[in-house]
Parts: sequence; structure tokens; C-alpha cells
Amino acid sequence: MMLRGEQITKRFGGLVAVSRLDFEIREGEVVGLIGPNGSGKTTLFNVISGLYKPEEGTITFRGRRIEGRKPYEVSKMGIGRTFQIVKPLLTMTVLENIAIGALYGREGARDMKSALAKSEEILHFTGLERRRGVLAENLKLADRKRLEIARAMATRPEILLLDEVFAGLNETEIDEAIRLVKGIQQKFGTTIFIIEHVLKAIMKTCGRVLVINFGEKIAEGTPEEVTRNPGVIEAYLGNASGI
Amino acid sequence: MKELSQTGKKNRPALFAGIGVVALLALFPLVAPAPYFLSMLYMVFLYVVLAESWNIIGGFAGYLSFGHVAFFGLGAYTTAFLMNKLALSPVATILSSIPGGFVAALVAFVIGYPCLRLRGPYFAVVTMCFAFVVHMVMQNIDLFGGVEGLWLPAMKQPIHVIRGIFYELMLALMILVILFVRWMEGSKLGKGLVTIREDEEVAQTLGIHTPRIKALAFVLSAFFPGVAGGLHAYYLTYISPENVFDVMVSILIVLMTLFGGGGSWLGALIGAVSLSLVNEFLTTFVGAEIARIIYGMLFIGVILFMPNGIMEFFRRRRRVRLAAEEVSES
Amino acid sequence: MFEIILLQSLVSGVLMGGIYALLGVGFSLTWGVMRVINIAHAGFGVLAAYIAYSLLEKTGLDPLLSLLISLPSFFFGGMILHRGLIRPITKARETIVASMVLTFGLAIVVENVMLWIWKADPRVLKPSYSGTAVFIGEVGLPIAQLVGFGLAAVGILLLYLFLNHTHTGKAVQATWQEKEGAALMGINLQKVSEIAFGLAIAAAGMGGVAMAMMYTFDPPVHNFWLIYMFLVVIVGGVGSILGTALAGLILGVITGLCMAFIPYQWINVLTFGLLIVVLLVRPQGLFKTGV
Repeated sequence: MMLRGEQITKRFGGLVAVSRLDFEIREGEVVGLIGPNGSGKTTLFNVISGLYKPEEGTITFRGRRIEGRKPYEVSKMGIGRTFQIVKPLLTMTVLENIAIGALYGREGARDMKSALAKSEEILHFTGLERRRGVLAENLKLADRKRLEIARAMATRPEILLLDEVFAGLNETEIDEAIRLVKGIQQKFGTTIFIIEHVLKAIMKTCGRVLVINFGEKIAEGTPEEVTRNPGVIEAYLGNASGI
Repeated sequence: MKELSQTGKKNRPALFAGIGVVALLALFPLVAPAPYFLSMLYMVFLYVVLAESWNIIGGFAGYLSFGHVAFFGLGAYTTAFLMNKLALSPVATILSSIPGGFVAALVAFVIGYPCLRLRGPYFAVVTMCFAFVVHMVMQNIDLFGGVEGLWLPAMKQPIHVIRGIFYELMLALMILVILFVRWMEGSKLGKGLVTIREDEEVAQTLGIHTPRIKALAFVLSAFFPGVAGGLHAYYLTYISPENVFDVMVSILIVLMTLFGGGGSWLGALIGAVSLSLVNEFLTTFVGAEIARIIYGMLFIGVILFMPNGIMEFFRRRRRVRLAAEEVSES
Repeated sequence: MFEIILLQSLVSGVLMGGIYALLGVGFSLTWGVMRVINIAHAGFGVLAAYIAYSLLEKTGLDPLLSLLISLPSFFFGGMILHRGLIRPITKARETIVASMVLTFGLAIVVENVMLWIWKADPRVLKPSYSGTAVFIGEVGLPIAQLVGFGLAAVGILLLYLFLNHTHTGKAVQATWQEKEGAALMGINLQKVSEIAFGLAIAAAGMGGVAMAMMYTFDPPVHNFWLIYMFLVVIVGGVGSILGTALAGLILGVITGLCMAFIPYQWINVLTFGLLIVVLLVRPQGLFKTGV
């Protein structure tokens, strides 16, 4: 058992964003998290990664309680994440961006020089070697997404939280990204928890899917089971994305 | 394929040029120049120390401290106080500027943790406010001389020797701070600070312990001005709340650093040297007020057209050009 | 006897509070609407005070009347300033910080222009009625303070009416609440921002004249006024006229009461310390405005 959440509840004033949510992620899995817009998916990620503190509930990572801990503690323990709206460090180059992850991540590096060296592998793996010296602000979207993943990977996480990395990509880019995500699991053994709207990506990468609506879990199972679930379909009605 | 990282750029000619300039500056007093030039250069060195130090928290971390003169003043008062209370010899007085630095650093540590939790404008305001509070408190405590301030008996040496000594001391401090900030720029700490400036949330998710690093930067940025304050107190031989807590100094060092380019050791150096020279020259020829008006307008002009400072403007253009070449190659 | 002192302090405090509020409302407006923190705001206040002073000296013109000249000039000056200096930086990533930095430079220019023209000696505005007071029982209300308060009340009321009961004013509010929506509705963002900025500078001018009738001023005093402005705006909630007005009154009363018991030189330490505490404890102020 790698990551477990029990009865997680997060409120913002009167609004309940996540309500009594339970989930389990086992080592080596690729688990999907789907649900209509505003259902609380990113909020859950923010709670796990330490940006929010839940009002109720616990999160256990490898046997240690992590709810309420600061993001840098959570990162050092081995949880990495990407952001839905990508946040590249604009004034740095692609390689430097990745190196920051290597510099301060779980393994860490002594100085920038060794961090840069350690980043080469990830740079190549994510297909960014031809953009190594480009300033992040000059990258197009698909590359920015790659960079977001690469930088998170550079922190050598045990589990990677991917937040809608497929949004805004065209068909070719989606296929490349699917290969990338599978590669992360296969080559690095990283466990992956992935929020996604693009159905194709879910079907092809996830072994198991959780469905959330209005902050509550409404279904869980394989991608096939979940997409046939009438409750899930009903939750998505009115929201045409992916189905 | 060109590696565009600035770290590890072995630039021999620049290194020799730098050493040459330092040597010339160090030997300058020996040619018995007019006192005006010595004191002008001394002020330039002082402003470089202040700007480079401010750069650590303001330029690199992006936390604009608008009250940095407080640390300078605290250092000055530490030295003046120690000299008076312990009847220190000249050498000891000079060395007491180091405790001055530590006092400033300690104060920065104490107020740093709570204040650095504040975002941009609020941090600026609270530091500005804090500097005023320190100023007013020192004005009202008789132990530290109150409004009248403190005297430091001058060294028993001819005046030109004294000037030469402080010139060399400030030059040495300046070199030290420049080297320190230069080292820091390429170091793990420096990269962490820049990441915080870019996006503090991302920094935290990448494992950067932001409160600790920001506090460290703030403490470092206070230490050197404290030392400089201690030296300057002895140089002036008289300090008062008015002359060592002058809010104009806080403003000038912000302007100098941002003018040249925050987050770059060279940028702060360029900014401090150019603007303090402008300030000194103009003050002599057209008076302090007009000098500052021109200064202010110069600053506004640069900020409008080169919002990240002069260094960044030219560096950007170079990088964009190089990257465009690279993309067209591949 | 004690009650008299208390009452006197209270009354003085309320009167002063109104003046603090006037200084703050323009500042609150630019911060709330345009995300521009104008460090030079108080500087313009001091400038208006100097202009009123010179006019009083040279021509005997009452400061209130001099406002008829300076207010329009400040309004148009503010609009020009906005177009020339502020508009370009709205493209910056962090407008609010960029505005602080830019107006820092502007504050230096304004301060030194004043230093150059009027030199550093402290002045005070002494219109014909200064020094006289109206007495209610044993409590004295200095006429100058009453006039200042009256000015503040008028200024704040006008601003409030403008924002809530004129077409342009409502456009200003719309811009601040929802920028994109406002643009989509056909509101000319630039024009609206210019007008708001011009009004803010005019309000600063009014506030400056009111302050100058109460306290001595010299070019660097704008730094101190700035702290007062930050205090009332942050406590009252950025962008809220009502909040700023209330915060001004509260601040006035607190400082007024303290003046009765604490030596004069520590009042400023108290006020500034208060700002530090507010910032560290509750920077969003007493009234939630969501800015």
C-alpha cells in the first residue's frame, strides 16, 4: 500500500469541495481520477500534496501520516505533482527547470552542476533534449507539459500526481503523452495517480479508475466498468468532454 | 549544441580585467588624489555593498525589502555603542563592525520569520514600517544618544591616512560581498531563491523549504549592511538617527539594484556603480535635489522600458537570439 | 477634569480620523481598481499642501479656495500620469509590485521637486481661522480641524456618490470587480482607469491640504503619511470607501486617546507598530473585500 486516504473532507467556507473521500493506491499502479469539472479532483491533489489542510480525514503514505504537512515535506517524502495550468519557471531554460527538481527533490543534489548532470536522463526521456537551452517561456504547450512532468520526475518521486496533462493536446501529442506516461511507470517504476478528462488517455494508461462528483466518490473499477456505469454517465451528462 | 547555462563559464579575459581593476582601485590612494575622489569612490563602494546585499533578498528571492537601511543603522549603532562603552582601540573599533553585522543579522532573523510570510506588497510595507519604527525608537532611547546621537573619537592619524584606510576597508568589503553574491548566484541556495521568486508554490512542491531559505536570505542580506554600517560610523565619527536611518538610502538601494537588474550579481554592481556615480556627480554640480530628480526619472525610464533591469534586458535579447538559432538548427 | 481630557481627545481624534480617511480613499481606489499601489500618493498630498501654502503666502488666498485651482490640475495631472506611467506597466506580470517600484521612483522625483522649490524647512498652513476654536462646554474644536474634517467629509461623500450613483463611477466599480466582464460590456478600461486615477490624485490633494492645516509638513513627511494611509486602507479593506472611512475614524480615535496619555514622540511608534501588527495578524482588514 503506497498511498491511502480515509474520509478526507475539505471545505472552503460553506462549500464542501471534497466529502468523506476514501481511496487507495498500491505500489506500481496507474490509477485514474475522473469526474465532471468542479468535482473536487484538483482539490484532492492539493490536499495530498500539502497545499491544503483537510478539515477531516487522514492520508497515509507508506505508513506515515501526511495530511496537513507542508508541500516541501510531502515532496521530500516522495510525492511529486504537476499542475493543471502548467507553471514552468519562465526565466530559466528547459534543462535548468528540470535541474531544480533534481536539486531539491527527494535525492537532492549538492550543487547546480551535479543537478544538471542528473537531469540529462529525464531530459532525454521526456523528449526535450532538443529544447534544452530554450527559455521556458518560449515553449509551446505540448513541450510545457512535458517540462512540467520532467521537472516533477526529477525530484525522483515514488508516486506522481498528474493533473490533466492531456488537456489541450492534439491527437498526435496525446499518443506521445500516453507513451510517456506508460514509460514512467515501466522505466522508473513510479506509481501514478492521474486526473484526466481525455478518455482515451484513461483507457490506455489506467488499471483502475476512481470517479468523483461533488466531492464524493461515486464509482470505482476498471476503465471499462466505470465508463459503462450509469451513475457515472449521468454525472457527466451536460458535460460533453471525452465521452 | 550550445550550453546556455551561465555557470562554469571560464572567462579568462574578464577575470584578468577584474583583477586589474581591483588592483588599480586598491593602489589609487597612493597617488595622493584629491580627497573628493577618495570619498566619492568610498560612497560608491558603500552603495555596492548595500545594493548587492539587498539583491540577495530583493533581487534573487523577489521579496522587496523597503526598509533595508535599518540594518545599516543597527550596525552603525552597534559599533558606536561598543566603542564608547568599552573604549575600544581603533583596530578593535574597526573589528566591532563585525558584531554590528551580527546584530543586524539577528534582528533580521527575528523579524524575518513572521514578515516573510507576507506576500509582495505587504512585505514591502512591513519592512518599510519596521525601519521607521527602529529609527524612531533609537531617537527616543537616551542610552543610545537619543536625537543627538553618538560620537566616535577619530583615529589619531593624519586625515588623508584615515580616508585611505576607510577607502581600502570599504573596497575590501565590497569585493567580499561581490564574490559572495556571485558565488551564491550559481549555488543551490541561489537557485532555490530564484525559484521562489518565480513561483513560490511550485518551489514548495519541488521540495524547497521556503520559510527556511527565505529567512536565510534575509539574514545574509542584513549582515553585510550591518558591517558596512559599523565601518561607516567610524568613518563619519558621528552618527545620529537622522544620518544612519535615512529612508532615502532604503529607496536608493532598491532603485540601484532593480535598475541594474535584480537576481544578478553583475546587475546590482552595474546599477549601484552607475547610479551612485550619477548621484555623486550630479549632487556636486547641480545640487542634491536636482540630482535625485534626474535619478528618479532615470529610474522610471528604465523600469518602463526594461522592467527587469538593464542586465536582464540585454541578456534576454541575447538568449532569445541564441535560442532562435538553436531551434532553426534542429 | 479627566472626562474633559478624554472627551477632548475623542473629539480631536474623530476630526483627525476623517482627515486620515480622506488621504486613504484615493489610495484605496487605485489599489483596489487598478492594482496599483501608488507610493507617491502621499507625496501629491504634500505637494498640494505646498501649493496652498504658496498661494496663501503670496496672495492671501484661503487654502479651501486654492483647492478650486489645484484640484482640477491634480485631476488632469493624474490622468496624464496614468497614461504615461501606469498604463505601460499594467502589462507586467505582477502589476502591483511593478507599480510599487515605479511609484517609488516617482515619489523621489516629487519629494525632491518640493525640496528644490520650497526647501526643507517645516511649514504649516495658517489660514485666517487657524488657532481659533469653537467651544462646546469645555471641549474645544479648533476651527482648522473642523474645516479639515468638513473637507474630508465632502471629499469622501463626493467620491462615494461618484462611485455608486454615476454611470462612470459604476463602470469603475465594475472594472474592479470583474475586469474581463467589464471590457466585454463595452466599458473602456483605459478611460475608466484614467479617470479613477485622476480622482485619486485629486483626493490626495484634498487630503494633503486638510492634513497641512493640522500638522507641520516638509517634503519627507509624505513617508509618514504613507504609513497612515497603508494603515487605514489595509484595516478598512482595500477598495472599500466605507471601510477606509471607518478605519480612518478608528485610527483617529485611537491616536487621539493615546495622545492624552503617551508622550508625543511615541505616538508615531505606536501607529507604525500597529501597522506591523495588522499586517502580521490580519492583512485582509476588518471588512472582506476579496482583494
